Amino acid sequence: MIEFAIFFFFAAIAVVFALVVILHRNTVVGALSLVASFFALAVMYVLLDAPFLAALQVIVYAGAIMVLFLFVIMLLNLQHVSEPATRPIQQFLGYAGSAFFGIALVYYLAKYTVLQLPPGPFVSDARAIGVTLFEAYIFPFEMVSILLLAAIVGALLLSSRGGQAPSPVRPEVAR
Amino acid sequence: MIPTSWFLILSAILFTIGVCGFLTRRNGITMFMCVELMVNAVNLTFLAYARQFHQLHGLIFVFFVMAIAAAEAAVGLAIFISLFHHRETIDVDEANLMRW
Repeated sequence: MIEFAIFFFFAAIAVVFALVVILHRNTVVGALSLVASFFALAVMYVLLDAPFLAALQVIVYAGAIMVLFLFVIMLLNLQHVSEPATRPIQQFLGYAGSAFFGIALVYYLAKYTVLQLPPGPFVSDARAIGVTLFEAYIFPFEMVSILLLAAIVGALLLSSRGGQAPSPVRPEVAR
Repeated sequence: MIPTSWFLILSAILFTIGVCGFLTRRNGITMFMCVELMVNAVNLTFLAYARQFHQLHGLIFVFFVMAIAAAEAAVGLAIFISLFHHRETIDVDEANLMRW
């Protein structure tokens, strides 16, 4: 019974903070709400017998990726930028289309996915994940490491000004 | 035990919120956060089915999705920094040319 209470409490937190992300005009508030939503999702992962991935969710998503977002928002000084409300037709179409999509998705999920859980515990600790990862998935694992290296190089190249190395002292500052 | 379909419905709701934000907002970083929200909703689906069928492969997939989301966030935010240096804005309506 306590499991259901935890599920509904954290599901409500995840949904409410996700709504704050898309409705609030301030980007910093949006990023922090997304962190809260990710924490609630980590609780969902624990309820799904995946505590290792819950830890990864907190460390990698809430810890690393969202800090990167906040850092970029701070770097570009975007917390005072608000977007003017234009294009009402497109906005209405976006809301209506996604609402239709969501209602259809929830309807069909509620109607057709009546699944019986198999008996017995689901062993998904760090040891089981590690054995699977380094035996069956060793090649994708290496590919992901190369992809991350390429992403680092790409991010460095893109974020330096115009592809050239930044000059150490700007002339107007030196004067 | 909580039924799998409840997790699937929660995941569908979060995915829909992500789609809605992506379609209606024009701030580039907010759109990017909506993409992260959709990725997390799909991760929740993977884990729900992994528990349903007692398969570890769903968990491994979530692991890879997290790694690729990190790479995507790094490159995407670098693109927005570059855009901001050239245009002084991250409104995606302003980024209407492939070269600038």
